[in-house]
Amino acid sequence: MIAALGLLAGILLGLFFRPAVPTGLEPYLPIAVVAALDAVFGALRAFLDGIFDDKVFVISFISNVLIAALIVYLGDKLGVGGQLSTGVIVVLGIRIFSNAAAIRRHIFHA
Amino acid sequence: MGLLNYITATSLDQDYADVAKSRGEERKDKPRLPGMIVLGLFGALLAVAAIQTASNQSVSASSHDSLVKQINERKTDLGEQRARINRLSRAVTAQQQDFLTATSAGRGLQSRLSDLGALTGAEAVTGPGVRVVVDDAPNASSEKQQVHDVDLQKLVNGLWQSGAEAISINGQRLTSLSAIREAGQAITVDYRSLSPPYEVSVVGNPNDLATRFIATQGGQTWLDLHQLFGLKFDINSEDSMKLPAASRLHLRYAHLEQTRQTAR
Repeated sequence: MIAALGLLAGILLGLFFRPAVPTGLEPYLPIAVVAALDAVFGALRAFLDGIFDDKVFVISFISNVLIAALIVYLGDKLGVGGQLSTGVIVVLGIRIFSNAAAIRRHIFHA
Repeated sequence: MGLLNYITATSLDQDYADVAKSRGEERKDKPRLPGMIVLGLFGALLAVAAIQTASNQSVSASSHDSLVKQINERKTDLGEQRARINRLSRAVTAQQQDFLTATSAGRGLQSRLSDLGALTGAEAVTGPGVRVVVDDAPNASSEKQQVHDVDLQKLVNGLWQSGAEAISINGQRLTSLSAIREAGQAITVDYRSLSPPYEVSVVGNPNDLATRFIATQGGQTWLDLHQLFGLKFDINSEDSMKLPAASRLHLRYAHLEQTRQTAR
């Protein structure tokens, strides 16, 4: 309940305030979203598994976003930003899918 | 495949299991305030990314329109500037005329200028002359039945020789520096390609221009071309012809007249 509330509040705040993203950070936004999505799916699965922990979620979320952005930043500096973001998205995508599969098994028992 | 298996196996962070084990099985944690804040952060991130993508899309769509608009604006600007150039150069010419007609020395200079302008191709010329129309032979099958740059060069040189004052080919005024060349299939005059038939307009004395031309080497060549290969070659006298000024004319060399300079 409180999670859904937080999510809704965040979306509304984002839509309402429309914070301007600095141009330098713009390329990292999609990667950050994917990394955050991974952390959230992981948390949801942990919650359904009954092993959710607030502190672990907060830390995993922040570190996921930061590390994903850092990898892409490093890739940009090395001239392989595109390839590295593809790599990050593939790995995170696989994780999201397998977590989503676990969540599905919990909800539908299938 | 080891890597993929590893990723799927550890898709859930190990920390959740570790913390749950250390905490004990009995009590389950729920998202509290920090979790809520982080989820809010996630929501905000989603919203911002969505807004960003949407606005970028509209930017790329509108950029095409704005580019088209810019191009049109620049085109009108260019047209205005060109009109201004024309206006200004007309004004300069008018002022020059005024200045030259003011004094008798100026009038002499002006008549010299227009004489030279007619000869060099700097000024448009009107007057009687002849019109020479040449073209490939009908149903030309061989190279020899076509008009080449050399043929046109001979024609033009013959015309100069027989006393032509000004010549233009298909409306392109010739100067002493004009180049008649072949580029691919087309003959170019001053790097502008012409299409047959080639109409050579000549200002000069119409009575003896044609007869003198026939006597020149170029005239002989063309008579042969006409008779042997069937190339089209017509000369007609014209009472009045208007030849434009040459388009490519640059000042290459100039010097002050010494006497004038010392007089000042």
